[in-house]
Amino acid sequence: MKKTNSTFSIRTKSVLTGWSFVLLAVILIFVFYFYPMLQALILSFQTGTGSNLTFTGIDNYTRLLSDKTFIVSVKNTFIYLLIQVPLMIILALFISVLLNDSKLKFKGLFRTAIFLPCVTSLVAYSVVFKYLFAGNGLVNTMLLKLQLISAPIEWITDPFWAKITIIIAITWRWTGYNMIFYLSALQNIDHSIYEAAKIDGASASRQFFGITVPLLKPIILFTSITSTIGTLQLFDEVMNITKGGPGNATQTISQYIYNLSFKYSADFGYAATVSYSIVIMIALLSVIQFKVAGDKNG
Amino acid sequence: MKKGFALLLICLLMLTACSSNSNSGTKNTGSSGNTGKAENTATAEPAQAKEITIWAWDPAFNIAALEVAKTEYAKTNPDVKVNIVEYAQADIIQKLNTGLNSGTTKGLPNIVLIEDYRSQSFLQSYKDSFYDLSSVIKGSDFADYKAGPTSLDGKQYGIPFDSGVTGLYVRTDLLEQAGYKLADLQDIDWQKYIEIGKAVKEKTGKALITLDPNDLGLIRVMIQSAGEWYLKEDGKTPNIAGNAPLKEAFEIYKGIMESNVANVHADWSQFVAALNNGDVASVPTGNWITPSITAEASQSGKWAVAPLPKLTTNKSVHASNLGGSSWYVMNVDGKETAADFMAKTFGSNVEMYQKLLTDIGVIGTFKAAAGGEAYSQANDFFSGQKIVSDFAAWTEQIPSVNYGINTYAIEDILVVEMQNYLNGKDIDSVLNDAQAQAESQIK
Repeated sequence: MKKTNSTFSIRTKSVLTGWSFVLLAVILIFVFYFYPMLQALILSFQTGTGSNLTFTGIDNYTRLLSDKTFIVSVKNTFIYLLIQVPLMIILALFISVLLNDSKLKFKGLFRTAIFLPCVTSLVAYSVVFKYLFAGNGLVNTMLLKLQLISAPIEWITDPFWAKITIIIAITWRWTGYNMIFYLSALQNIDHSIYEAAKIDGASASRQFFGITVPLLKPIILFTSITSTIGTLQLFDEVMNITKGGPGNATQTISQYIYNLSFKYSADFGYAATVSYSIVIMIALLSVIQFKVAGDKNG
Repeated sequence: MKKGFALLLICLLMLTACSSNSNSGTKNTGSSGNTGKAENTATAEPAQAKEITIWAWDPAFNIAALEVAKTEYAKTNPDVKVNIVEYAQADIIQKLNTGLNSGTTKGLPNIVLIEDYRSQSFLQSYKDSFYDLSSVIKGSDFADYKAGPTSLDGKQYGIPFDSGVTGLYVRTDLLEQAGYKLADLQDIDWQKYIEIGKAVKEKTGKALITLDPNDLGLIRVMIQSAGEWYLKEDGKTPNIAGNAPLKEAFEIYKGIMESNVANVHADWSQFVAALNNGDVASVPTGNWITPSITAEASQSGKWAVAPLPKLTTNKSVHASNLGGSSWYVMNVDGKETAADFMAKTFGSNVEMYQKLLTDIGVIGTFKAAAGGEAYSQANDFFSGQKIVSDFAAWTEQIPSVNYGINTYAIEDILVVEMQNYLNGKDIDSVLNDAQAQAESQIK
């Protein structure tokens, strides 16, 4: 009897020690993550400007479905997602395979050059892009000099080209980031696999699609999910380059949240509802991506 | 097991999603992290220490005006310390919103500058957070159109500050090449303005005007000149469908675009560059543009200011407003000192207003100040034209409208509909659709 008691107390002790180690982290997570999330959820059921908030049930959620600006913002965000994410991932994959070539010289230089955009400040590079793509900016001047175009392209003030400008900007900023993941994964692939393939007469493209891509699948899944999340939260570039315009041609969901909170008359309740719509979208998309690509690795 | 693992991963993902979401939340409210700086410069006990903190933007204009007021106030109240903190306007809006919403007054200033288009949104959203100045200043001492934005329920909350009175800045040299004189620009309507623009374009190749497709400031100017706004007089009901001046303003905007007399810019620096490079022959805008125009010394003598063109509706006058802002005292410790500071400077000091005008170029809205000497001085840059006395005269004619609390929310709807209109959508359905959208959005 005595023995059981002491075992019990040792067990309790070890459990308590364990908890005391993680307690601080748990408290911090609860206070700074779960509590604000819960508050935001409560807020999303309230409407009113500033501090004049009243509970209105699911009013905000029904408003969401008929809100043209929200729908346009979602559409824009998904256009970025569907064009930019695949484009960037293919580009990153391609570049990383090139840079992984053992015969390539100045590897370090190229890797640094392509990774460098990721360490620049979001706001700083956005402002630079705005000036590069201005009506009389460097890009138009160069294209005109090279006689590729006859009149300046309205990169920022035309609805179509403004979207292209944003896509170019985020691709420039994030391709190197994804490339680093692929590079590190590539270095884990045993070189003898490629040698065996070569002996069997596999072409370079066959090696790429037959060996590289399947072995990188988990990393591709990871980068596509993080890129999806990143794109759904896109804010800085759009805010700084086009301010969502012309009209709302480039406005993203995150920028709409900003507008609702600060540009218009402080509608925090509805802004919280729109924020939750992003959470729901990200969760759904991640589930789909896992189902499509992740099952075999699970 | 597999499923369990996948579920766990999804949960984790959702958590990261949420957490990074709340991260971006902090990013938005971002600069509130800096409040510490303001708090430090602010006092611990303003009431006793007699120290007040003021937030404003634009070092060349508002901050400079505050510095003048600070010096003036120190003459009679040397024991009060005045801290002036400069933030960008967008940062002030974020800080005020987040600060007032959090329910704590710590970190808030004693006095804050708010743009007139936004003031009602703050006054109505945070009712007890602003100090009633009715006993300190008289609203009727200031330009009439400032009463709407700065008062609520019959109480005066704001000290009206700069005038956003508009004029038509023109390049007389370019006009002359096109066969027009400054005298031809008196008492014209916007159609005539476009006509002149076509001649200018033909003869000089220069654009008449520069426009930002995301900023309908010109539309705001036009409708206020006719005493109308995006909202009805109650400041709540959208006034878009059936708003004749708004319809005409849209038609004029399209006319400008289709006559090919407009230059397009995307932000403030490109806007100012267009004026200073000589790319445009005119700028219909607020008088606060004067320092930016005179900054290009090589163009001295080439500019003049004509009255604003008007709409064809009878009510429209040759005067309107664009922008402009006013001071507000927060209902926190030290409010009496803050109110006293404002009353003795911006609320009554005629002499100070002369100094503001000559040194900084601020045209205030304090009626008594307009009689001062500085207001009737000739400006060499504008070929000796007494532009300030012109502006002061126009200020008195500006029709008063209720900006309400949704100017920018409605404008974002109109910006989109304007693009549709330019692309060929029928004007009536443009305005009807905007009205419907505004009604569903404003609750």
